[in-house]
Amino acid sequence: MPARLKENTVSEAGATDLLPPVQEGIFSLPAAGETGSPRLLGGYCRACERYHFPRERHCHRCLGPVEGADLGNTGIVYSFTAVRAKPPLGLPQPYGVGFVDLAANGLRVFALLDPDCVDDFKIGSSVVLAVKPLGHDGKGRPCLRPYFTLQQYPTESEA
Amino acid sequence: MTDVYVIGAGIIPFARHEALSLTDLSVEAAFLAIKDSGLAPHRIDSGYFASVLGGRLFGDSTLGQSVFAEVGISGGPIVNIENACASGSSAVCLAYNALAAGQSDYAIVLGAEKMCVPGLGLLNSGESDIETKLGLVTPASFALRAQRHMYEFGTTLEQMAQVSVKNRRHAAANPIAFFRQPVTLEEVLTAPMITDPLTRPQCCPMADGAAALVLASGPAISHNKRAIKINAAVLTSGSYQNPIDLVRWETDQRSCRLAYEKAGMGPDDLDLVECHDAFTIAEIIHYEALGLCEVGEGGRLVAEGATSLGGRIPVNVSGGLIGRGHPVAATGVAQIVEVVTQLRGEAKERQVEGTKVGLAHCMGADRQGDARSCTVAILSS
Repeated sequence: MPARLKENTVSEAGATDLLPPVQEGIFSLPAAGETGSPRLLGGYCRACERYHFPRERHCHRCLGPVEGADLGNTGIVYSFTAVRAKPPLGLPQPYGVGFVDLAANGLRVFALLDPDCVDDFKIGSSVVLAVKPLGHDGKGRPCLRPYFTLQQYPTESEA
Repeated sequence: MTDVYVIGAGIIPFARHEALSLTDLSVEAAFLAIKDSGLAPHRIDSGYFASVLGGRLFGDSTLGQSVFAEVGISGGPIVNIENACASGSSAVCLAYNALAAGQSDYAIVLGAEKMCVPGLGLLNSGESDIETKLGLVTPASFALRAQRHMYEFGTTLEQMAQVSVKNRRHAAANPIAFFRQPVTLEEVLTAPMITDPLTRPQCCPMADGAAALVLASGPAISHNKRAIKINAAVLTSGSYQNPIDLVRWETDQRSCRLAYEKAGMGPDDLDLVECHDAFTIAEIIHYEALGLCEVGEGGRLVAEGATSLGGRIPVNVSGGLIGRGHPVAATGVAQIVEVVTQLRGEAKERQVEGTKVGLAHCMGADRQGDARSCTVAILSS
């Protein structure tokens, strides 16, 4: 059995069930009763002064120890696309993916993008991390996935 | 280092072969290549067999030994290879290395795939990979490059669509191609969107197919007038730099540079190129990595016709992956079969005039915005 999250205060409706993350250790959620945003988690090598996502078992440069790191929750879209063909893993159709440059450390990470606004992303858009039940784990079991959404949704006149 | 030559080439039509097994496809391609070489099969002392999906879809393992035994090749070293889309061309590199080192006199290389089965879906880079779990499918990884190429260099939807139009036109003249019907620019642009901005005809079709080569070391080929020399065959992997640049593709550029260096040649020496056009934008970026044009100019290069049959440097006169189809592990071998056929002057309607040097380029799988495997081979008549 995958370890379940002890706390789950995902802001999205319908996420109150205790669902496992798609992969352990890649994001954190605010503790029960506390406000705050999900954070992306990765690794940090002190010797190389480098962050990575996801956390590496050993630093791939020096093979030294890696500590857990908070990679923040904001970034800028480097590139994006909407996948409109039949989606894998029970993801919505369409859904978005992209590379995001993290504000905290400059890492460029591959990420899901909010399926509710796939047509609104642009290169350079400011994005913030969110977490909600999205798709399944490959074996049909629903799971939580991290994704980036627009910091400012377009207003109706812009859209 | 001993010189290495291709002395036999065989390929079967890339199509939906519903009635044929992976072994059926493979044995036929091996048979054709051995017959083409004129060798007695027992003289072939090593074998390299590539398939990506045989294990997953059919539960096959070490299929190479079975296939080669059926055409009279056994007893020597035989290995089975998986390196995603570059599996077949990786097999060529391994055979080349063994022959160049004097470890073998004759080797057979075979790439085969049977993948037209219900429910396969879009390909990915492995189900346990974090990026796959986060929704990465292969077309998306190239759509992300396309978006960035348009943003940085002003590459247009029409320029990308021209790659499909060209390669489908080329494929119409290739009897083994999956698609024999050309497409118009408008058809490409208005077709269903797979992943923005790549429409369906801009994504290579899955196909069943197999292709094979017989390689020989220099001292063994004095009698063979149709032998084609391999001037370089390099295999590399990604460097996974972060932040990765999706359009100035370091792994692509480094691999091409390495092959040119080993062959003592450059882009101006080439008469034709087969490159890994899994998606239209891929071909455009590979033009740039190969030095056929400056970085950012690939869209304009295809639009002006330079890479069409009859143009300055024809690319994918076979139809490429987009026209010939992409039975994953067969592709890397099929590209070299095409280059060999062209260098022998035996390509009929699609023959490039006066060819002396050809290049085959292949890539496989995604990791952190980079390719996991890349091969570049340069051959000459």
